[in-house]
Amino acid sequence: MTKEELFHRLSTVLQDTFEIDPELIRPEARLREDLDIDSIDAVDLIVQFRPYVGKRLQPDVFKSVRTLQDVVDALHGLMQESVEA
Amino acid sequence: MRERLNHLWRIVATGLAFTAFGLGGVLFALTVFPILTLSIRDTVRRRRIARRIVQTSFAAFVQLMFRLGLLNYTISGHEKLARPGLLVLANHPTLIDVVFLISLLPNADCVVKSSLARNPFTRGPVRAAGYICNDTSEGMIEDCIVSLKSGSSLVIFPEGTRTALDGSMKLQRGAANIAIRGRIPVTPVLIRCAPRSLAKGTPWWKVPARPMSFTIEVLDDMPVDPFISAGSDALAARKLTRFLHDLFLSPSSSHANSAT
Repeated sequence: MTKEELFHRLSTVLQDTFEIDPELIRPEARLREDLDIDSIDAVDLIVQFRPYVGKRLQPDVFKSVRTLQDVVDALHGLMQESVEA
Repeated sequence: MRERLNHLWRIVATGLAFTAFGLGGVLFALTVFPILTLSIRDTVRRRRIARRIVQTSFAAFVQLMFRLGLLNYTISGHEKLARPGLLVLANHPTLIDVVFLISLLPNADCVVKSSLARNPFTRGPVRAAGYICNDTSEGMIEDCIVSLKSGSSLVIFPEGTRTALDGSMKLQRGAANIAIRGRIPVTPVLIRCAPRSLAKGTPWWKVPARPMSFTIEVLDDMPVDPFISAGSDALAARKLTRFLHDLFLSPSSSHANSAT
């Protein structure tokens, strides 16, 4: 999956699970401040990406991310690792 | 003149009341709770007794403040709080809201800062009563649901901290998530305090012009099914949180101006 595809998938999940306004979904949008995603939501979000990334995706991944671009980068990094492993 | 004297008295009395609260806490931590921990091996029974002790001492503290002339109060629907396993969600105008609510609940669990389980002055009651520590959010929601299903009641202030002086509120969604994910009805409580005092950012010695008048209204249980009917749990928690926000801001449904 490319980063573009990941972002698109993330956008769909944000709209379906949290009813986030598509207008707000931009790479630089901050999870907590701009999108009102809290730590409980982050767990829900992660569950939806486990099929792509596997069990190594833990909730603490989201402790160090601030923006949607950070999420995409983190997911992409994890996917690269699982391909190489 | 009389008013000025009364005002001065209430400054002194507030200091006395809080000193008594602190000393009582230390005294209990050094005597009652260690004895309890050593003498009762059964955890469930020990918790019940510890919670009973906390309830009784908080009720005594409310009586102390009442008798010192610092506050008066009207509580409606308090009999509803005698049932087990309640998720009690209240707004949070003052420092002593939790004291009022715990004093009315026979088997109350609380979510406390995890540092309180290590602090030498508080760890006695916190550990004996088995209060939930707020270290991880994912685990905490689960811990709260388990506690409620086991019959403990749980008091949470969804605002997370006391209401701002301008009255505006921003609710966290943790409490709603407990209700939604555990399929547990909510028992809402409205707390009004006039004049506003012991609020966030108001030092304790800034006592109001007249004694505080509390109106505490325990509302009927609110089932969560209507919030769940459409969409994900995350959406249901958002809806319930918005509902609670509006409920907390609504004027008290009855005896809004009464004072005892």
